Amino acid sequence: MVNTVYLDYQAAKPVDPEVFEEMTPYFSEKFANASSLHTDGDIATEALEASRKQVAEFIHAEDPNEIIFTSGATESNNLALIGYAMRNKKKGNHIIISEIEHISILNIAKYLEKNGFEVSRVPVDFYGRIRLDKLKERIREDTILISVQYASNEIGTIQPITEIGGIAREKGIVFHCDAVAAEDLVPIDVVRDKIDLLTLSSNDLYGPRGVGVLYIRTGVLLNPLLIGGGQERGLRSGTEDVAGIVGMAKAAEIAKSKMEEESARLSELRDYLIQEVLEKVQRSHLNGHPKMRLPSNAHFRFDYIEGESLLLSLKDEGVSIATGSACTSKTLEASHTLISIGLLHEEAHGSLVISLGRWTTKADIEKLIEVLPGIVERLRNMSPLAE
Amino acid sequence: MKSTKYSAKVLEHFRNPRNVGTLKGDDVAIGRVGNPVCGDLMEMYVRIKDDVIKDIKFKTFGCGSAIATSSMITEMARGKTLDEAMEITRQDVADELQGLPPIKMHCSNLAADALHDAIKNWREGIKLEPVVDVPTKATCEVPEYKEIVGLDTFLNKGVYREFSDLEEFRDKRVLVVENGEPSIELAIQLTKVTGRVIFMTPLKMVLARPDLKTELKMSDVKVLLEAELVEVMGGETVEKVKVHDLNEDTEYELFVDAVLMP
Repeated sequence: MVNTVYLDYQAAKPVDPEVFEEMTPYFSEKFANASSLHTDGDIATEALEASRKQVAEFIHAEDPNEIIFTSGATESNNLALIGYAMRNKKKGNHIIISEIEHISILNIAKYLEKNGFEVSRVPVDFYGRIRLDKLKERIREDTILISVQYASNEIGTIQPITEIGGIAREKGIVFHCDAVAAEDLVPIDVVRDKIDLLTLSSNDLYGPRGVGVLYIRTGVLLNPLLIGGGQERGLRSGTEDVAGIVGMAKAAEIAKSKMEEESARLSELRDYLIQEVLEKVQRSHLNGHPKMRLPSNAHFRFDYIEGESLLLSLKDEGVSIATGSACTSKTLEASHTLISIGLLHEEAHGSLVISLGRWTTKADIEKLIEVLPGIVERLRNMSPLAE
Repeated sequence: MKSTKYSAKVLEHFRNPRNVGTLKGDDVAIGRVGNPVCGDLMEMYVRIKDDVIKDIKFKTFGCGSAIATSSMITEMARGKTLDEAMEITRQDVADELQGLPPIKMHCSNLAADALHDAIKNWREGIKLEPVVDVPTKATCEVPEYKEIVGLDTFLNKGVYREFSDLEEFRDKRVLVVENGEPSIELAIQLTKVTGRVIFMTPLKMVLARPDLKTELKMSDVKVLLEAELVEVMGGETVEKVKVHDLNEDTEYELFVDAVLMP
């Protein structure tokens, strides 16, 4: 964060200095392979298993063996969906996801469709909440898996996860939840929420990148995607990245201890930001749910202007944010999440994603509020769509 | 390459765009290209005397490169003859800006097209009206009525022709299909129960008495011009509709909970 106001925590978070410190010995004196049988190996094994226990406690898993370490959330999502679908295709070939899943889930679903599975997508309401009546409508005899994210990484809407878990469990369908966007600020309880498979990312807890977790409830069977030395109960071969895993566990411990206080602090900042922007910028709108949203997320759209121009102008003012504009994506398509909540393409193009984090201060928010109205006005004066 | 990895000159023109604005008069030609659905809409205003561009201004809705290319071409075209101006290509504009990211070359380098459109309109005697200032007497062609797929299937399951109680639309995404002034009044009334009301008309502008037009403009109703309903889709109830964009002649999907056809 070099002299900028960083408000893009959803894209990447810095590693907490305490986490970094905890990891350091595992790059040098505690370097050994956790599979080795000598004393050095034992030290690595102990660190690995202690980390597993910490992460299990973080999500209220009953048994640490339900935690599988991976290379990140993308791998966890792949292992969950492809691993489960391939192993259980005799039970059925129908999978349900929501319309506003993270791009990794959407693309894995497309891959499964090409490989003989049928995928149904459940619509959401204007606030981005999954429509439970429509979810029930889509459940069939041959449905084997439901995958819904805990909260939207884009618009911050938190899903009724306990209800979805209840519906899935009642029908005997395995429920996967991608909790990456929510994990640092929303208390997750896999038992309460009846989650069978859960994806976590280390970086979203202020841990190192390149580490993730898939929680697999005891009794849920998957095929591995990586074949090799049989690490992680044979579900994820490859020598464990002990330093990274220790970092993730420490990050989870810190997140847990700070969660209540940090959620309250960020919610207050978020509400202040939302109130100020809606008041100071004419024809601005909040995307997502007014209350059921991540404490760290504010998502706006501004009539008549385009998101990338906003982003560039804010960049000039030293503010780092993201946009749902097509012009910033690789495909030049408007955000599927914004289309799914019922926005028109031109509205999706004018959106701004603001994500707060552990080092966001009131002064950062003030800075954004100070520069935003002028930028919007300047761009509107240039726009043929404005009055 | 990142889509926002722009040259210093592109950023300079984005930050300080030249010649933003509009021009008026009999000696002004207007060119327009792009579509806001794609995230780009560009208008060029060119004042012409003795086949020479005397003045040029633009208005742009678009990303950084859309603004920069518009600004750049106004500088390049001023003082040129119409023939010379017709020779300016997208590549020339990009070169003058020290290059554009490849992904932006076509999607947001419409400035040359807008300039050419203005000159073409001048030569053919076509007088475009600015988007922002369409006169109320403009002739709008009403497209022929086409059958909308799924209307009967979803009648009273998300498609409604009669409404006694607007409460049933509370917090729903409602699409109101244009049918005279009562449909506009209905759309405005609906904003009292829901934050999402879209009013759709196949016309290029809203036709209504002035006070109603103003009320609509000030309201939270999202007006969708030049659009017609093609299909209503869903499961047991309506989930989305297919819309025909008459201007672009393309179709897209719009997620809604209710379609009101007064």
